Amino acid sequence: MAIENPRIVADVVEVNEFPDLAQRYAIRGVPKTVINETVEFVGSIPESQFVEHLQRASSPSTS
Amino acid sequence: MAFLSHNDQNEIKRLFEQLSGDVRLIHFTQRESPLFLPGQECETCKDTRLLLEEIVGLSDKIHLEAHDFVAENEIAREHAIDRIPALVMTADGVKGKVRYFGMPSGYEFSVLLGSLVDASLGKSALSEETVKVLQGLDKDLHIQVFVTPT
Repeated sequence: MAIENPRIVADVVEVNEFPDLAQRYAIRGVPKTVINETVEFVGSIPESQFVEHLQRASSPSTS
Repeated sequence: MAFLSHNDQNEIKRLFEQLSGDVRLIHFTQRESPLFLPGQECETCKDTRLLLEEIVGLSDKIHLEAHDFVAENEIAREHAIDRIPALVMTADGVKGKVRYFGMPSGYEFSVLLGSLVDASLGKSALSEETVKVLQGLDKDLHIQVFVTPT
């Protein structure tokens, strides 16, 4: 996704190595995805649903 | 000891045959020191570096730049790197930023290889519809995917 849009930064974080992040984002299952600290979900989901989450995170009401 | 077996290397070389553009791997790590500094140890930095060196050795289109996180903190800041080991993947066709924190082993290793191919080709494996939506998003988006090696 970051390949397609200059405003996207996509991080993959190995959470066992960074327990502070595991705690901050309350990671209890993986993969857990957090977008702009506002939208989050756990598990692998279909591409279309992922896009919906991105749209939600980028809507003006979500900041 | 090598991380990648002979078979792994051959398989990855075959995968890399499709690479078209050059990919830069900007790696942030810790200089090896005989001194142990409590709170500053990076347990996977050395292994991550070795693994990346092995990957880079399998294609002349992949280039590794290793930076010391402390001594070269300006470069780290430029890429907003606040922890190590870290990896920033860039290529002409990559519009945004793709980063890895921690050692990309286990399942994440295959994800890394897939990203390398996508970055080199300058296109994602996403559907046309998704790409269209993505290109229409005009807000900075930071996607963090938390994983474990298994």
